[in-house]
This record gives sequence, structure tokens and C-alpha cells, in this order.
Amino acid sequence: MSAFAPRSDAELADWLRSRPGRVRLMGAGSRVGRAAPADGAHAVQLAGLDAIERLDAPDQTCTVGCGVRREALDDALRAHDLELPCPGGGTIGGLFAADPLGAASHAGHSPRSLLLGLEGVLADGTAFRSGARVVKSVAGYDVHKLFVGSEGRLYAATKLHLRLKPRPRAESWFAHDGLADAEALARLQALRAEPVAPAAVQLRRDGGGVTLVGRCAGRPTFVRAQLQKHALTESECAWSDHLTAPTGGEIVAGLARASALPGLFAALPATATLLWHGGGRFEAALPDAAASDALLKTAAAHDVTARVVATTAPARRERGSPTDPGAAHLAAALRSALDPHGILV
Amino acid sequence: MAALESRLRALLSDRRVLDAPDALLAWECDGFTVHKSRPRAVVLPESTAEVQAVVRLLHQERVPFVPRGAGTCLSGGPTAGTDAVVIDLARMKQVLRIDADDQFAVVQPGVVNVELTAAVRHLGLHYAPDPSSQTVCTIGGNLAENSGGPHCFKYGMTQDHVLGAVVVLPDGEIARLGDAGGPRPPGLPDLLGVFCGSEGTFGVATEITVRLCRDQSAVRTLLASFASMADACRAVGAIVRKGLVPAALEILDRATIQAVEASAYRAGYPADAAAVLLVELDGPPDVIAEEADEVRAAFAAHGALRSEEATDDAERKRLWKGRKGAFGAMGRVSTDLYVLDGVVPRSRLEEALDGITAIGTKHGVRITNVFHAGDGNLHPNIPFDGRDAAETARVVAAGHEILRLCVDLGGSISGEHGIGTEKLDHFGMMYSAADRDVMARVRAAFDPHGRCNPGKALPSRGACAEPAKWPQMVAKVLDAEKPR
Ligand SMILES: Cc1cc2nc3c(=O)[nH]c(=O)nc-3n(C[C@H](O)[C@H](O)[C@H](O)COP(=O)(O)OP(=O)(O)OC[C@H]3O[C@@H](n4cnc5c(N)ncnc54)[C@H](O)[C@@H]3O)c2cc1C
Ligand SMILES: Cc1cc2nc3c(=O)[nH]c(=O)nc-3n(C[C@H](O)[C@H](O)[C@H](O)COP(=O)(O)OP(=O)(O)OC[C@H]3O[C@@H](n4cnc5c(N)ncnc54)[C@H](O)[C@@H]3O)c2cc1C
Repeated sequence: MSAFAPRSDAELADWLRSRPGRVRLMGAGSRVGRAAPADGAHAVQLAGLDAIERLDAPDQTCTVGCGVRREALDDALRAHDLELPCPGGGTIGGLFAADPLGAASHAGHSPRSLLLGLEGVLADGTAFRSGARVVKSVAGYDVHKLFVGSEGRLYAATKLHLRLKPRPRAESWFAHDGLADAEALARLQALRAEPVAPAAVQLRRDGGGVTLVGRCAGRPTFVRAQLQKHALTESECAWSDHLTAPTGGEIVAGLARASALPGLFAALPATATLLWHGGGRFEAALPDAAASDALLKTAAAHDVTARVVATTAPARRERGSPTDPGAAHLAAALRSALDPHGILV
Repeated sequence: MAALESRLRALLSDRRVLDAPDALLAWECDGFTVHKSRPRAVVLPESTAEVQAVVRLLHQERVPFVPRGAGTCLSGGPTAGTDAVVIDLARMKQVLRIDADDQFAVVQPGVVNVELTAAVRHLGLHYAPDPSSQTVCTIGGNLAENSGGPHCFKYGMTQDHVLGAVVVLPDGEIARLGDAGGPRPPGLPDLLGVFCGSEGTFGVATEITVRLCRDQSAVRTLLASFASMADACRAVGAIVRKGLVPAALEILDRATIQAVEASAYRAGYPADAAAVLLVELDGPPDVIAEEADEVRAAFAAHGALRSEEATDDAERKRLWKGRKGAFGAMGRVSTDLYVLDGVVPRSRLEEALDGITAIGTKHGVRITNVFHAGDGNLHPNIPFDGRDAAETARVVAAGHEILRLCVDLGGSISGEHGIGTEKLDHFGMMYSAADRDVMARVRAAFDPHGRCNPGKALPSRGACAEPAKWPQMVAKVLDAEKPR
């Protein structure tokens, strides 16, 4: 793939107007291995659009170039006692376009709720804006919400307006490993039943048992009380955003509500690794296609939806629970409305 | 022409299709009473299948239609043209599923906001978005307007609480959005996110999955009065800067306090105050005890005249009564009330309120303010006599300038109430022609034939290019006042 790295929004728009052919948009490229191959397309590297344009600390909002790295934004926000309260790394554009955890995120904050607006460029080079810089606006269609999860297939976002939250006065990560299934589920259930649940929670399950990971945040008295009440052991942050497929293996991703976890555990082959996020999204790394198929086959019976998202066999990509035909039709209609020539691949 | 109505009757029965002119009176407007129009007919479906059958027929017959919940919208959203059929969802009021473990509910669109919370209260759960109209408005209307309320500073708007929706698209096909559609395949964008707030122009939501929140173990409600609006706004800034996230941060100005105190919503607010600030904290008791101390310190640091705290539930209800009744109280001041809904960055609240006062003086209209201070979401209210055409024109002119001011300060023309027909002429203040065209493309993907709530939410092509469609709006208002 030939590459183009614009230094400004205008340069990107001009370049797209020159009708360069098919284009693959990229942030830091951490998901490259998961995307369908795009032979012959130009790679557009947006990581250079990395200015934090404004940080309105009293308003708890900011405007950032899509190429700003997560760590750079976190550093800038820390100086103002603020944070972007959703997991995920890479560039901010990549994080929102990938939406790894979806809208049902555990503590209520998700890319959907944090994205206030954006500046974008369509595949034909048309620049546009959607939303606003303020924390509340219902004027106009939320074209910016369509960016969430669009994975570079609708338009390029060049600047994003984000909602921020105050950094909690205290936070502690906890991790418990080697738990049996039943104990892990019981601990999770107890945490979820709290009026103020932990700010983040995650389960990782492999041959060594289950690891329960999470973050308690709030006022120091509260964090201490929560750790104590649930006998949680403080640890380094052991959070992970994703799994890597074993050689020759696959990643299956999907949605399992907490109550479906026993079923999901039962459906997983012993050789699998599971990463389940508090909001219900999960990824499973499976050693081979047969193991994936075993999971996919039983998923529906356990109220779990699942699909192959990374594989070395292109024909198997997206195998799994069917997409609702109406939603698929709308996604296709939106794609042809915003990118009628199918430039963005 | 009668053929369509009889085919609708065949689908729904006689009782659930209304087309006699007198029977249609109740559907001639919403809360934005300036715009009135009686629809061609009203249908009252009771299930997704019935909505689908109706929409399919209307699609075949090329008849426009308008979804409607309780009709409390303040921007003309559910008001139908004379050629359109209203699909009234008020009869679809079943709570279809409550899942306490996974904290979600699936409801039909006609479920009234407050009734959803009533249905889950025994489980220690509630539905967080709480528009002031919550005793009447529906979850379907909330979804279509992306409604907020006093508690959305902490808990977010409707879009932060919807997980899925079954939607009958304008051609009668069904789409399951969000979690209702299963796992999201690669590249499937957040369709539910864009549906939320689309003002009934993308299809009819017939089943909605919402998140339920756990009740907090304790609540504290504090009220402070201030000698100036500036002090009240600065106290809000100080509370937020401390990193506190109160459940609600609401301000009422002097004129609103006086109207409330003279009404049935009397709450015992101090009559000498230029502003009162209502702060609600929720969470574990020891946490909010510490927070309440910090809030009181912020009150004191910004010259609060007095402050009080509710000691029991009755007291809490009293403190909220004035805030919740503010619109009702203002409604009694005059025959008509123009409710604006602009937003400014929170740090610009003082400037915005000074500007609003100046605009009121300039146009010779009285403007009162009650607002979601935490979100910078203003509600300037302008009481007027709609029978007085000159006064009406001044009111509308003042409204226009206020929205201009909000945009100039970096904000928005609407925080909750939507564009509807009311703000079509203001749309160009925020968006360029290119922005509008991109939105129009998105709309066409949902509704290629433009028959779902036509004429709402998005101005027609070209309208954005003209910076001031304003005189036309005055003309429209004046025209509406002409004796017929
Ligand atoms: C295999 C893998 C490895 C990961 N590694 C890490 C890691 O090491 N550290 C970490 O914190 N997180 C990691 N993550 C999770 C991470 O949170 C998200 O995947 C994140 O979205 C990636 O950001 P990126 O900048 O690398 O995006 P990319 O991988 O470059 O892009 C992600 C998607 O977004 C699109 N896109 C990117 N920018 C834009 C834009 N401006 N406009 C339109 N579309 C755009 C791309 O086309 C692509 O579809 C990883 C995820 C996966 C799947
Ligand atoms: C006194 C008062 C106080 C208010 N306070 C607030 C407040 O605090 N916060 C706030 O946000 N709003 C407030 N509003 C505005 C209004 O109540 C909200 O916009 C509410 O969500 C409208 O709900 P409804 O059921 O009345 O919908 P309607 O008014 O009937 O319809 C609103 C829009 O939604 C569409 N619609 C309705 N149902 C559906 C459906 N099932 N599928 C698709 N589209 C649909 C309609 O076409 C229309 O465009 C207030 C209004 C009043 C009168």
C-alpha cells in the first residue's frame, strides 16, 4: 500500500478531491491485523493530525486532532485534574472509530456519550462539521455518532470535540487471579450489585482460571471502603483492551450480558482465552477454526452473540451470529450516501 | 381519498382510526403552539406489527406520516401537515421485559417516562433521564428528541441510556439497532446513536431497550440564595472545578422565583434573592456528607445570602417543587410563553445571562431564566400575549438574538427541545450548507422518499446558505396571528 500522511485537514481534503482511488484510513495502526485486506488502496496515516486544539478545563471539554495519542491526551488532562473516562488506546480517532467496547460500557461512559461533535472530511473531499463543543446539543442530526464504530468506512474525522470528566480524587486498581468460575462470578455479582459499581471491571479466563480486574475510583474514603467491603487486593493496572490471536488461531468477539457469563464459560473450549468487559463485550482467542466454530454453534443457546473478527482465513471473517438485515441495509445505505464510489475500504 | 382511511380501518379497526375534523383537534399541535395544523388522520396502533402494516400501506400510497408520543415537544416535532397521517403511539405502553440482574428494560414507545421508573422501583432501580415533562412524555418521544432533564449533568441524556431499538423504517421494513441487532459486525456504525435525536424523521421506534440505574443509598438536596446571578453562576463554576459531580445543578432567577412563589408551586424560596441555586448530591451517605460540606463552602465563598438543606423527603420535594413547577408558574403569568433552549459553555453563563438581559431591554420584553446550570443549558422564558402581533414579533426577535448569542459564545441553539419547525430558521447559525447537505444524505439513507415527518429537524436545501431567514420567521408568526 502506498501511504499518504496529511499534515492538516485541508491537505487531506485537497488530496481526497484529487480522486486518488481507494483509501484505507489509519490512526496508529494497532488494528491493522484485524481489518480485511485492502490491496491496492492508499494508506492514509492520520497520526500526524496530532494537535490538542483546545482544552477548556472549566467546561470539561476539549477539541483534539484525530491523530492525538491517547497517552498524550491523558497527560494533558491530568494537569487539569480531568480524564477521558473510557478505555482504549492508539489515536483518539482510531479509538472512537473502533469503539472497542460499545455503548453499553460498564460505568455508563462510552465513546458515544463522550463524543460531542467533530470536523470531518467525506471521501470526495467535502469538509463538514457535526455537533458542538458544548456538553449538550440536540441541534441537527448527530452525524458524529455515526463515526463511533465506523472503522474508517464512512468518513475521516479530523478533529473531535470530547466531553471530559473530573479525575477521581483517589483510584485503586485491583486484580484477583486463579479464581474458580463460580467464585469469580460471585465476586463480580457482588460488585455489580453496588449502587456505585467499580469504575471499570473485566474478567480474563484461561487455563489458569479466572482473573477479575477492576478499578475503584472516587473519594478516598469511598475507595478504601469499597476495597475493604469486597476484600479486593490492590495491584498494578492489569487491564487489557484486546487479545491477540494465537498463531493459526482466531479471535471471536461479541456480546454477553453478565447473566449469560455462565453460559459463555460453558460454551468456551478449554483451550480458549476469554476477555470480558463489564459492559458485556467480550473477545475470545481460540487456537483454531474448529474451536471457534464450537463456540459460535452454542452461543445463541446461551443468549450470547458472537462473530469471528480476526482470522487467517478470509472466508471465515464475520462468520457467526447474523447481523440484523435492517441494520445491515441501513449501514450500506449510509455508506453509499456518504461515500457513493466506495473509496473508503 | 376515502380509500386510504378505510384501508387503515381494515388494519386497525374503526375505533383506532380517526379522521373526523373535530376528532383531530387534539393533534393539531404540540407544546409549540405557534405552529398548528390538523393532520389528515390519526391512527392508534398497538404493536410493532400494526405499525409496520400501517407504514407499509402509507409507503405504498405515498402518504407522509408523523410518529407521535405524548405531544409535549416544544419545537413542533410531532405536528403533522394536513396531508399527513399521525401514528400515535400512546397505546403502546407495555413494559415488555425487566431484567434486574443485567439492569435493562425493554419497553414499548408509549410508556410514560415516570411510569418506567415506577415499574422498577421495587427492584431498587430507576430510569435516569428525567425531563421536567416526565409525568406525561413517552420513552419514544424521549428517544426521538434525545431528551435530558435536571439530573443529566451527572447521568447524561437519553442517548446515554438507550441500548437498542426496534424501528419500523419509512418503507415498512424493520431494523434492529444497537444491541437489539446482535453483535456489531466490523464497520457497522452507531446507528442507534444517530437515530437518537432524529426527531421522528428516521422511522418509528416500536421497542426500546434502556439501561436502568441502581438507586443511590442517599440523597442530599441543598438550596442557596444569592444577591446576584453572577454569584450563583460562580458558585456553580466553583463546585464543578472542585471535581464534584452533583446529580443536579439548577438555577432560577428573581422573576422566576417570584412567579413560582405566587403560584401553586410555592416552595418557600427567598423572595429577596436575585437567584437560587439548587444542588442535589447522591451516593453513599458518608461520601455525600463530605461533598455537601464542599458545596456549602462554595456557597459561602461566593456570597450566598442563605442556604438550607432538605432534612427529609417532604422537604426535598418542596425544594424541587419550585424548580419543577417553574414552567407552569411562568405559564400563568401571561397567555403565552416562549421557551428557549440555547446552550453555552458553562464558563460563559454569566456573559450569556447579561446578554439576555440586554436583549430583553432592547426589545422591550420580559425574560425570565430557569436553567440547567451544570450543563450551561439555558431556558430563557418570554411571557407574552400571543394576540398582540407587535409584541409577538418582538418576542420572536428577542428569541432569535438570544440563540445567536449562544452560538457566538461557542454553544448551541438547542440543548433538549430539538429543531422541529421552530428552529429551522436558526439552523444556519450553527451549520453551513455543506454540514446540512451531509445531514440530508444521512436522512435520505433512512428515508429516501422523504415521507417520515417531512419538513422537520432539517431546513430545506439553500436555507442554510442565507444567514438571515429571520424576517420570514417574523412574517410567519405575524401571519399566524391574523384573524381568519
Ligand atoms: C490487534 C489490536 C491491538 C491493539 N493494540 C493496542 C495497544 O497496543 N494499546 C492500546 O492501548 N490499545 C490497543 N488496541 C485497542 C485500541 O483501543 C483500539 O483498537 C484503537 O481504536 C486503535 O487506535 P489506532 O489509532 O491504532 O487505530 P487504527 O488501528 O489505526 O484504526 C482503527 C480503525 O479506525 C479507523 N480510523 C482511525 N482513525 C480514523 C479517523 N481519524 N477517521 C476515520 N477512521 C479512522 C481505521 O480505518 C480503522 O478501521 C488494540 C486493538 C487491537 C484490535
Ligand atoms: C412543561 C414541559 C417541560 C419539558 N421539560 C423538558 C426537559 O426537561 N427536558 C427535555 O429534554 N425536554 C423537555 N420538554 C420537551 C418534551 O417533553 C420532550 O421533548 C419529550 O421527549 C417529548 O416526548 P413526547 O412523548 O411528548 O413526544 P412528542 O412530543 O409526541 O414527539 C416528539 C418527537 O418525537 C417523535 N416521536 C415520538 N415518538 C416516536 C417514536 N416512537 N418513534 C420515532 N419518533 C417518535 C415525534 O415525531 C416528534 O418529532 C418539556 C416539555 C414541556 C411541555
